[in-house]
Amino acid sequence: MNWLYDSVEPRVMDEDMLKLAVGEQGPRDEAGQLARQEGILFKDVLSLRLDFQNILRIDSLWQFENLRKLQLDNNIIEKIEGLERLVHLVWLDLSFNNIEAIEGLDTLVNLEDLSLFNNRISKIDSLDALVKLQVLSLGNNEISHMMNIIYLRRFKDLRTLSLSGNPIAEEEDYKMFICAYLPDLVYLDFRRIDDHMKELAEIKHQYGIDELKQRENLIQAQLDDERAQQEELEEHKASFVERLNGSFLFDSMYAEDVEGNKLAHLPGVSELGLTYKDKFVIVCLNIFEYGLKQQEKRKVELDTFNECVQEAIQENREQGKRRIAKFEETHLLSLNAIRDESEVTNLEMKVAEHSKDITELFNMLMTLEMQLVEQLEETINTFERNIMDLVALFIENVQSLMAQCRDLENHHHEKLLEISINTLEKILKGELDEDLPYDVRALFVDKDTIVNAVGTSHDLHLLKIDNREDELVTRTNSWCSHLVDAIHKDEIMRNRRRVKEIHQYVDHVQNELDNLECSEIID
Amino acid sequence: MEVLKEKVEEEEEAEREEAAVRAERGEKVVRPMEVQREEAPMTQEMLRDLEKKLSDIEMAIPEKLSTFTKDTIDISKLPLSYQSNTLKEEHLLQVADSFSCQYSHLCPDRVPLFLHPLNECEVPKFVSTTIRPTLMPYPELYNWDSCAQFVSDFLSMVPLPDPLKPPSHLYSPTTVLKYQEGNCFDFSTLLCSMLLGAGYDAYCVNGYGSQDMCQMDLTRDVCPLTVKHQEVVQEEEKVPPKKYAIKPPRDLTSRFQQEQETKKQEEIKAEEERRLREEQERLLDVEKAKTDPLHGLRVHSWVLVLSGKREVPESFFIDPFTARSYSTQDDHFLGIESLWNHKNYWVNMQDCWNCCKDLVFDLGDPVRWEYLLLGTEKSHLSLTEEDEDGLNDDDDMENLGKEDEDKSFDMPPSWVEQIEISPEAFETRCPNGKKVIQYKRAKLEKWAPYLNSNGLVCRLTTYEDLECTKTLEIKEWFQNREDMLELKHIDKSTGLNVDYFKPGHLQALRVHSYKSMQPETDRIMEFYDRARVDGLVKREETSKTMTEYYRGRSDFLSYRHVSFGDRVKKLSLNSAESNPRPIVKITERFARNPEQPADEDVAERVFLISEERIQLRYHCRDDHITASKREFLRRSEVDNKGNKIVMTPDMCISFEVEPMEHTKKLLYQYKAMMKLKNEEKLSRHQAWESELEVLEILKLREEEEEEHRLTISIYDTKRNEKSKEYREAMERVMHEEHLRQVEAQLDYLAPFLAQLPPSEKMTRWQAMRVKDECLSDFKQRLIDKANLIQARFEKETQELQKQQQWYQENQVTLTVEDEDLYLSYCSQAMFRIRILEQRLNRHKELAPLKYLALEEKLYKDPRLVEFMKVFV
Repeated sequence: MNWLYDSVEPRVMDEDMLKLAVGEQGPRDEAGQLARQEGILFKDVLSLRLDFQNILRIDSLWQFENLRKLQLDNNIIEKIEGLERLVHLVWLDLSFNNIEAIEGLDTLVNLEDLSLFNNRISKIDSLDALVKLQVLSLGNNEISHMMNIIYLRRFKDLRTLSLSGNPIAEEEDYKMFICAYLPDLVYLDFRRIDDHMKELAEIKHQYGIDELKQRENLIQAQLDDERAQQEELEEHKASFVERLNGSFLFDSMYAEDVEGNKLAHLPGVSELGLTYKDKFVIVCLNIFEYGLKQQEKRKVELDTFNECVQEAIQENREQGKRRIAKFEETHLLSLNAIRDESEVTNLEMKVAEHSKDITELFNMLMTLEMQLVEQLEETINTFERNIMDLVALFIENVQSLMAQCRDLENHHHEKLLEISINTLEKILKGELDEDLPYDVRALFVDKDTIVNAVGTSHDLHLLKIDNREDELVTRTNSWCSHLVDAIHKDEIMRNRRRVKEIHQYVDHVQNELDNLECSEIID
Repeated sequence: MEVLKEKVEEEEEAEREEAAVRAERGEKVVRPMEVQREEAPMTQEMLRDLEKKLSDIEMAIPEKLSTFTKDTIDISKLPLSYQSNTLKEEHLLQVADSFSCQYSHLCPDRVPLFLHPLNECEVPKFVSTTIRPTLMPYPELYNWDSCAQFVSDFLSMVPLPDPLKPPSHLYSPTTVLKYQEGNCFDFSTLLCSMLLGAGYDAYCVNGYGSQDMCQMDLTRDVCPLTVKHQEVVQEEEKVPPKKYAIKPPRDLTSRFQQEQETKKQEEIKAEEERRLREEQERLLDVEKAKTDPLHGLRVHSWVLVLSGKREVPESFFIDPFTARSYSTQDDHFLGIESLWNHKNYWVNMQDCWNCCKDLVFDLGDPVRWEYLLLGTEKSHLSLTEEDEDGLNDDDDMENLGKEDEDKSFDMPPSWVEQIEISPEAFETRCPNGKKVIQYKRAKLEKWAPYLNSNGLVCRLTTYEDLECTKTLEIKEWFQNREDMLELKHIDKSTGLNVDYFKPGHLQALRVHSYKSMQPETDRIMEFYDRARVDGLVKREETSKTMTEYYRGRSDFLSYRHVSFGDRVKKLSLNSAESNPRPIVKITERFARNPEQPADEDVAERVFLISEERIQLRYHCRDDHITASKREFLRRSEVDNKGNKIVMTPDMCISFEVEPMEHTKKLLYQYKAMMKLKNEEKLSRHQAWESELEVLEILKLREEEEEEHRLTISIYDTKRNEKSKEYREAMERVMHEEHLRQVEAQLDYLAPFLAQLPPSEKMTRWQAMRVKDECLSDFKQRLIDKANLIQARFEKETQELQKQQQWYQENQVTLTVEDEDLYLSYCSQAMFRIRILEQRLNRHKELAPLKYLALEEKLYKDPRLVEFMKVFV
């Protein structure tokens, strides 16, 4: 076949070629006449066939946003590319090309049927995104390693697979292996797999499969765990008290505190540190629990608010619909009456009457809408007030709890200072029994040094606590303001949409009447 | 007894006072006790005498009143317990007599007690022993209401011989069941037996009832079937307003005007109410019964069910005639003399001046209820702790006062045989399977299943007037119909017929209401939509329209309305029979398809066929109040060059809530129109099919009405012919099989073994002898048989030879007939001879084989085998 490629000039996929193909494959007969009249937009095309065109490079397909089926078989394509925009693609045929690697399919999440028959592919990969894959044709390629099959286990919907004509198909265990490792497969190499075969294969490869399954399960469990943790953290973040349900804050205080760690070697400090830590963690836990509770409260508040607003909107909408339905009945009747009327004066009267009706409808709908707007505005304001209060209360309480932390720190600081000075005195007197590490001993040269060291540690701790507090407060406040803004914005958008809709409808009705009038006059 | 006396005296005093009060009131009602005052102290003999007299009188009563006398009862077949009394029963009768004596002595102004009427064999039996508690084997008879209904259906009512006295005879429930007739005492005895068997705390009551009740006159009662269930309007619970519920817009109407309006409304309403009340009063006057001169004297018997057992929350009465339950305060029950169950007998010592309204049914209270036998039933003491001591003292004192024999005596077992109701009788229910009950403005007729060939089991006719002349409506209930017809409701005033079907009709019909069976008239058919492929729920027809409602379809069609035009007269005659009405308009509505966006999901589709227009209305989006619309004109036009215009922008008028680009294209519109054209064709076809189906159903219904075939359950062994035949065939086969087996098991050795001394072990010699004897015997039989055949053969041949001889001698003189006779004889004889010869040969062949077979069999015989082994 190679001589063909040599003899024929590779062609470029350009606008003309696509237009031609679209035109050829578009609607026929009367519909085709119409289509030619007004032209077909590429984004309306659902299916496109570009076979035997000697295409070397896939290009210019970005306009076909809604394409479902694409056939590019029997070309000389060497690389899969330019398909990123075709996210709705269900069927892709790239058989009889010169493709060497599977790539560029990461956005085609809807793909169900993929044919790469008769190419030069040696490895199955980069198909992770195709979760809906059902049919995979990879015959006449250069796949030589059995382990490629295991990669296919992730496609839960895969039912049909063809791999004949590959080096692996020559292997004696080929069928058994595939049947064993892909138990959901129904057709292999265009033949149905019989149950007997499946059983045999399963028995033969039982150990391998069990091992594999075990590993897969482990990985899956790990993933699940991670996800659960992540979710929990997210939830805590939403309550603004993440990582306060343990010693995280305390540990972070000491993480960068060189002096503090050094001082821990002093006699009595480690015990002091332990009690300090316990107390500190208890306060943190208090904050954490309080935060969760408050979050729950805010959620309930928000839910009731949303529910009520939805109810109000629904009620209003029902009213509107009723009005329109009622109007529509009279509208049809009066249109017919106007159409049948021959007397000019009567006609005019009727037209006038009907346009009055229309105006009335418009006024009615607008009144309804304005009423709703007023009602909602009031409700939203109440809600805003309440949520602000809630948030303020939350912040206040958290701040007082944080103050407790600070008190603890101060207390600890004093104790530590006392011990340090005592130790210094002892050292100066040479009465110290224990051996202190050299770098710790270096601190105890004079009083200033040791006081400074303890002070630095203290400052650092306070800074950490302040930072955490600031973070919490700012985030809470920004959440609140965002929420309120979003609610206001939503309401405004809703109002605008509704007003637009009413206008549009009334215009349409008025137009109908006008058209009728015009035609009457012309008649 | 002293206490009793005191009580009576007290009561009498009270009575006197009351009498005075009553006299003041001018009450006409005479108390039952007072009537009998003259007869006061009554001796045993007198009682007996009276009873005898009464029974004599009963004999003289014309047949019309009561055909159910003891003449018609076959006494001879009744068991012994019916015909005589046991010692214990005699004893009981004595106790009862003495009780009655004392009672009549103490309460001379009360009627004698109903204690031991005669049974069907003229033997006095105590009433309590006539009750035979029996639990029926039918699960339907487990509850009191169904039991009572059964009794009232099963028996036909015979009035008391004397409406003012209890009857002289009380037949056993078995006899009553057998003859399906009885008076109120028979009814209540039977019902009480069944209720006691089912675990209720039931009592037979002897008392006084209203005239309607005693005569089972229901003409003043509303038929329970006509009472419509009043729909309980469930008040929707008001949800407390939520925190953020919006405030309603301010009400700007004038309050004063509203008040004026409500005032006016109220006035009108009051006026109307007054009118209604007047109307009702007028009606009541018409309906009011004549006062009964014997009010309060009519003896009646009914059943009392006390609370406590079987989760009965409150005591109530059951009238056995009508099977209705009444509260103990009901106006129909005017007084109670006594009551009894299978264990004891109680006399009411309470005053009945206010009917039964003030009675307390605390049978453990000896002041209110005087018991006959002591110590059988004490469970009814419903007293508080502190009262109990005092009462116990009372009891003790009373016990002392009682005669000694009472103390240790309990009720003898019932003399009545086990009450049995055969399945046939249970199914047939009413006597002869038919019963008619007349209610106020209604007549109820009941039939046993399968009695009517059309499956009719119940008919309720409602009348407009009290005299029951103008029929208002007829309701007929059916059972076991093959077409699953359950209820037929004919409204005479409107002429509307409504048929109700159970699930399982051939066309899944559920309700069919019509005025005539002619097609293209007003009718409504409802269907079991889940049984139909097309999910049709209802089809309404008028002469010009057909409306269909669907449910659960995959294409979300929920409604189709077809309007027909006038039928066009066809010129050609040959296609006259299939001339469908032209369809003017088809309206179809669809439910929301959640998979499609609202703008593309059609809600309503109108095909204006005569105008060649198609209107589409789409579903409304969730947050919108207007819906998209589209209208297609499918007139095909030709432009000035003569070419057909495929599509022009004015052929499609559309209003879109959110204008979209692609829908503006002519191609899109053209495709949509083409699709709609196809769908129009389909809809028209479906409308036509629906019409055909209506015709088919009507035809089917007519056929079913004519045939009215009944279904028979495969478990119904009596009626199901097929299963009966099959069963009989099976039985026959079994029987034959059995015979064959018996034959196969024929024991050759039995006669020979019998000769041996029994129960001794056989010796080998004996065994050998048995075997040899058996064989020789068999040999002998074979030889005998051969000889027999031989003898017959010889006899036949001799006869033939004789005939031949005779023939040859008289050949010349013979007539043609004789010759024929001779010839036929010859051929027959030859045939016989030949057969005999064959049989002989066969016997000769088979005999040795048979002999050998027997020998072998004997060798293998388990009784001989051990000896034979050694022998072999």
